Amino acid sequence: MLSAELSKPLVISTLCLAWLSVAIALDVPPLTGRIVDLAGLLPPDMESALSSELAAHEQRTGNQVALLTLPTLEGESLEDYAHRVATSWKLGQKGTDNGVLLLVVPRERRIRIEVGYGLEGTLTDAVSARIIRHVIVPRFRSGDFAEGISAGLKAILGTIEGTATPVESAHPGNSASGGAFSVFVTAVILGALIGVMVGRSLRVLAGGVSGLLSFFLAMPSGVYLALAAGAVGMVVAFVLAALSGAGRRGGRGWDGGWGPGWGGGYGGGGFPSSSDSFSGGGGDFGGGGASGRW
Amino acid sequence: MLGRSVMMSVGTLCLVLISGCGYNQIQGLDEETNAAWSEVLNQYQRRADLIPNLVNTVKGYAAHERETLESVTRARAQVGSIMATPELLRDPAAFEKFQQAQRELSSALSRLLAVAEQYPDLKANENFRDLQSQLEGTENRVTVARKRYIDKVAEYNKAVRFFPTNLTAKYILHAEVKPTFTVADEKAVSRPPEVKF
Repeated sequence: MLSAELSKPLVISTLCLAWLSVAIALDVPPLTGRIVDLAGLLPPDMESALSSELAAHEQRTGNQVALLTLPTLEGESLEDYAHRVATSWKLGQKGTDNGVLLLVVPRERRIRIEVGYGLEGTLTDAVSARIIRHVIVPRFRSGDFAEGISAGLKAILGTIEGTATPVESAHPGNSASGGAFSVFVTAVILGALIGVMVGRSLRVLAGGVSGLLSFFLAMPSGVYLALAAGAVGMVVAFVLAALSGAGRRGGRGWDGGWGPGWGGGYGGGGFPSSSDSFSGGGGDFGGGGASGRW
Repeated sequence: MLGRSVMMSVGTLCLVLISGCGYNQIQGLDEETNAAWSEVLNQYQRRADLIPNLVNTVKGYAAHERETLESVTRARAQVGSIMATPELLRDPAAFEKFQQAQRELSSALSRLLAVAEQYPDLKANENFRDLQSQLEGTENRVTVARKRYIDKVAEYNKAVRFFPTNLTAKYILHAEVKPTFTVADEKAVSRPPEVKF
């Protein structure tokens, strides 16, 4: 029997451990490339060959196909996990949702093909299941993991090859930030208006007040947006105040007003850096695809 | 001059109040919740559409499992008889009835699949395997759609309950909290099928 004094810390530490293990199990690995081989199933040369094949496919069709191998699921449901990885990697282009994730978990011997909304019509559940059953599983059963993964990915690419959706040259943020943009404009205009009214005689005040107002009005939509709105609102108010002042008092120009302000602008405001590294295009997943085991 | 600036101030104040009172937020969330609900219905419908084909295929190999087959058909008919509209969301009793019907269909289906396990010929049939993977895929889509609905409703209900948006919800929109899926449903969905010999 455990005494009460002993059991209490035991319970707490068990709870902590349980919480810790849940937290670990929930991790989605960072998207370091089209192939994230955490279970180490692929030899390096094959990994780079497959990776460039997937890249070439994306060039042609816009489809983003990625592979994740994971040593173990740590008790988590395969379907839940695959969906979480796919949605947080955002494979596929925004709007067309043409991403595919192949997930291989050696310890549980589970395979899943997670298919984005846009490809569900071509890479159907039945087709995904057939690829797992006829292409991947037989090779895995004979112990040839690299060959099975390679053949599986090629079967996936072959199935979706015809579904070209041209990669849009527009910035990924554009369509997403429609709502944010209107918040931004509203915040700037309101902030500037109020700022001008408050600081009609004092231009310094006009800039500062409207900057602050714009900042707080845009705050619910995010810090970066708020910073940008604050900066722009301040400038707009300052210019407005200066213009109205110039009309009446014969143009004293740009004296004062440019306090220690919100120089931030759009720095780091959610736009992905345009380097060569692979990143998801904003695609969404609705749970389509198939699971299998070997 | 003074009159104009006062009017401008009042106008701006009104604008700020309208954007801050949550009117648009609640309306927007209401629309999003309905969209999420439609997706749930869409996936349930997709599941129901798969059933005749599945029942026929199983019948070809295991015709004497009449009771299991009939219970699936019955449960599907029950599901089909409930008019699943967005209005359903305003009536907790009807919502519960809808959930009950879907739960029964889920368990009838898992019994059918468990029975199918005992027929090697059926299990090897490519058509059956396709149907099975479609059914699994659809169940998974239902799970995802339900999760998204639950998240959306939580957001909506928060707006309806929290101050100050609750005032708008109560006195202007007459909006009420929406029903959502309960743990009982989750249990029913994730419970392994019972097989009687």
